[in-house]
Amino acid sequence: MKRTAIIILSVLLAAPLSAKNVDLVTLPKRDTVQLTIYNSADITLAKETRYVTLKAGANQLQFSWANTLIDPTSVVIRPLDHKDEIEIVDTIFPGQKPQHLIWNIESEFEGQVAMEVSYFTSGLTWKMDYVGITDPDETTMGFRGYVRVFNSSGEEYDNAEIRLIVGTINLVEKIADLARRRGIPVPRKATREHERMRREVYADSVAAAEAMPSAGAPAAPKPIVKEGLSEYFMFSVGGTETIPNNWSKRMKAIDASDVPFDVVYRMRAHQYGPRPMRWFVWANDEEHKLGDSPMPNGLVSLFRDNGQDGLTFLGRQLVRYTPITDDIEINLGPDDLVVYETKRMSVVRREFTFQTRHGKEYVIGWDEQAKWVDTVRNYRTKPITFELRRRWPGDVEYASEMPTTLFDVHTIEATFTVDARDKVEYPATVLIHHADRSKQNRIKLKTPQPDRE
Amino acid sequence: MRNRLFIAMLLGAMLASPAMARIKLAALPVRERVEIQLDNPNFTLVEEERIVPLLKSGGKTGNNMIDFSWSNTAIEKDTIQFRPIAIRQGGQFRPIDEVSLPDGSTTNEVTVINVAYPPNENALVWEVYAAEACAVKVRVSYLIQNLRRSFSYRALAEKDEKSLVLRKYIHLHNYSGEEFGMAGVWAGFGPKFNKPLEQQTEIKMLLAKFNDVPVEKTFTFDWYAHGKLNADKPYASKILMHYKLINDEAHELGQFPMQPGKVRIFIEDGRGGEAFLGEDWAGLVPLDEEMLLYLGEARDIVCTRTIQRNDRTVIRGNLFDQDVIVRYEIENFRDKPATIRVVEQLNRLAQEKGGWDVRRGDVEWEQGPKSTDNFKFDFDLGGATPTLLIDLPPRPKDQSEEVETITVEFHVAFKNLW
Repeated sequence: MKRTAIIILSVLLAAPLSAKNVDLVTLPKRDTVQLTIYNSADITLAKETRYVTLKAGANQLQFSWANTLIDPTSVVIRPLDHKDEIEIVDTIFPGQKPQHLIWNIESEFEGQVAMEVSYFTSGLTWKMDYVGITDPDETTMGFRGYVRVFNSSGEEYDNAEIRLIVGTINLVEKIADLARRRGIPVPRKATREHERMRREVYADSVAAAEAMPSAGAPAAPKPIVKEGLSEYFMFSVGGTETIPNNWSKRMKAIDASDVPFDVVYRMRAHQYGPRPMRWFVWANDEEHKLGDSPMPNGLVSLFRDNGQDGLTFLGRQLVRYTPITDDIEINLGPDDLVVYETKRMSVVRREFTFQTRHGKEYVIGWDEQAKWVDTVRNYRTKPITFELRRRWPGDVEYASEMPTTLFDVHTIEATFTVDARDKVEYPATVLIHHADRSKQNRIKLKTPQPDRE
Repeated sequence: MRNRLFIAMLLGAMLASPAMARIKLAALPVRERVEIQLDNPNFTLVEEERIVPLLKSGGKTGNNMIDFSWSNTAIEKDTIQFRPIAIRQGGQFRPIDEVSLPDGSTTNEVTVINVAYPPNENALVWEVYAAEACAVKVRVSYLIQNLRRSFSYRALAEKDEKSLVLRKYIHLHNYSGEEFGMAGVWAGFGPKFNKPLEQQTEIKMLLAKFNDVPVEKTFTFDWYAHGKLNADKPYASKILMHYKLINDEAHELGQFPMQPGKVRIFIEDGRGGEAFLGEDWAGLVPLDEEMLLYLGEARDIVCTRTIQRNDRTVIRGNLFDQDVIVRYEIENFRDKPATIRVVEQLNRLAQEKGGWDVRRGDVEWEQGPKSTDNFKFDFDLGGATPTLLIDLPPRPKDQSEEVETITVEFHVAFKNLW
């Protein structure tokens, strides 16, 4: 028989106020378990149903746990049957019995009732990871996402319905802290008895798996149903899963083939440093064989089919939450085959202003006009898209022969294509008003003017 | 009968003065009734009634000495009050009358003469005059520590997030060292209830349930409060979600002020179950006021903020006007429309772009002509902190269509900066 390692729900048949230290109890087993696991915080909403037998009149139900990080203030019970005949009068947390509570229940019904007990627990987590494998030409990829559920809660959950919540929730207190608040020591390591139960649970689950009908093909991967809920998304794993304590389980949640993507180079020294970064960009939408749910945070590992029956590792990056239809952008880092350099070609200073002190004149302001040429060399065998953003603080007048816009008042932006094994030069004339000549703090875009001597 | 009684009231003939060796022969009047007043969040008042048999004062026995002592219980000694309230006569209680004394003056039939405080003891002794031998109902009241209450809330939102069910719970925490049998408890509002309060015990009870409470969900962007979102999106910032409830009858509340407490918010999942949305601390919400509950970050709305104009016009000396255009580009990836509240802290903006010293007070400004017309103002945070209300359409159902980027430009003409 499967024994729950932690949670025991007892029906006290004795009168409530007599023989307080001698309990006569029955131990109703869990009927179903549902775990709703959040990934933005260490919190899981556990919900279980058990059948208990109530008598007409006053009843007491006892709920206790040990070696499990349950927030006592979160424990709620509700009848699933005969709701109008059953009233939960109050919940008592006896100080003498830690990790223990008692519900006083008034019932007009006598007999077996399904009760739902829900609570917050700690130690169950999940995370997402992704694997992309591009074709040798880096035009499409196969993209898979996996959810991995970790159980270090101290409790064995077998045949549990698993739901995973994508989104950032607000918690004002950590569940693990609440579980420990009443000065209750919570052993983190499994005791010998606990370990024995863990092995028992595992043996049970293996036995159950072996007992499955063997005819036909191996069991297909369980579908993961995705649906929106408020600002969150819920991934529901089909069927039930058994996750023994200290185990984790990984399941496929996204499987897309032939996903087209763009390769973009971005030069933003103020954000990424002195070298252009190589980005793979695609979208979380139907066109890219995705888009049925947001993509949770997760580590993306990208490989390329090297055309020789092997893979080349391209890079790995933590991708942040991506809403449906938003772009997925992976920074693969600098690329040795795309080189960017910037050179100041000439400088002219004029429009000096002076201040006279003690009969002598001192420069207190001037304009400085410089010609810059940014060069992008593409040593790759395919054309590339290059995005340039460059910050120019101060009072600046900026002109370029190539199409240029302002991203903001301190940043210019230009996008151009560099052909395979070719280079593009991006020239600019930058006039900066210094010191006393500086009247503004922004870039003014101007059309290029003929050179002045 | 309780197993342990820490607070004892002894009645006896005190043959010696109270300060001497206190050898007592005493009866133990039990509590007839206990009331615990939890209306004050900082102090808990206990009022208990006991029936005390008194001897007739005078002669050899003198007055009655009533000894009240306690141990392992944090009673505030100076707050203890003793009030005779009724005399039992023929099985009934009657009010205490006045009687005439031999010197012609009058006094109550039962009167407290004085109170004595024995040294180094958690005790006191009342000297009580009784005109006749009688059983008198007395009320003893005192403030006690470590017996307190707190509140919590559980909100269950409908799946469409238009309304919710709000449950309010009271938690009684008895770590006072004393246990009270069936005590009447009053939380400061609502009906009084009776509950046994054992030692070292916490009790959680449903106090009130409010159905169909209308709720408004808000999305707020505040650049100066939250800063950049992350290194990859340095021009975007967090968008915070709140539920807004109003504590009035029109919004199915308004029965009493909402005391501070933790609010846990759940939502129906449409399949008979529920999911947890988050939690927040609610402060005291008086009647007619708003309860704003922070839910978390909305990540399906992305708002970036850039400065598109920053021009200065010198008026005289170092006095100048500054023209600033703030551009917000907002994408709503949700499948529902939304109204985003964009908070612009103009004092901070003027400080950043014009060197305004915020200690001088609020900046002077007016809206410039380059503002777009796709937003409305709300000034609930003050004139220098306008909130721009911007309506966002849902993302297109057809994913081949681009999500519309709503571009809003707020042209601020700062006046007289220096």
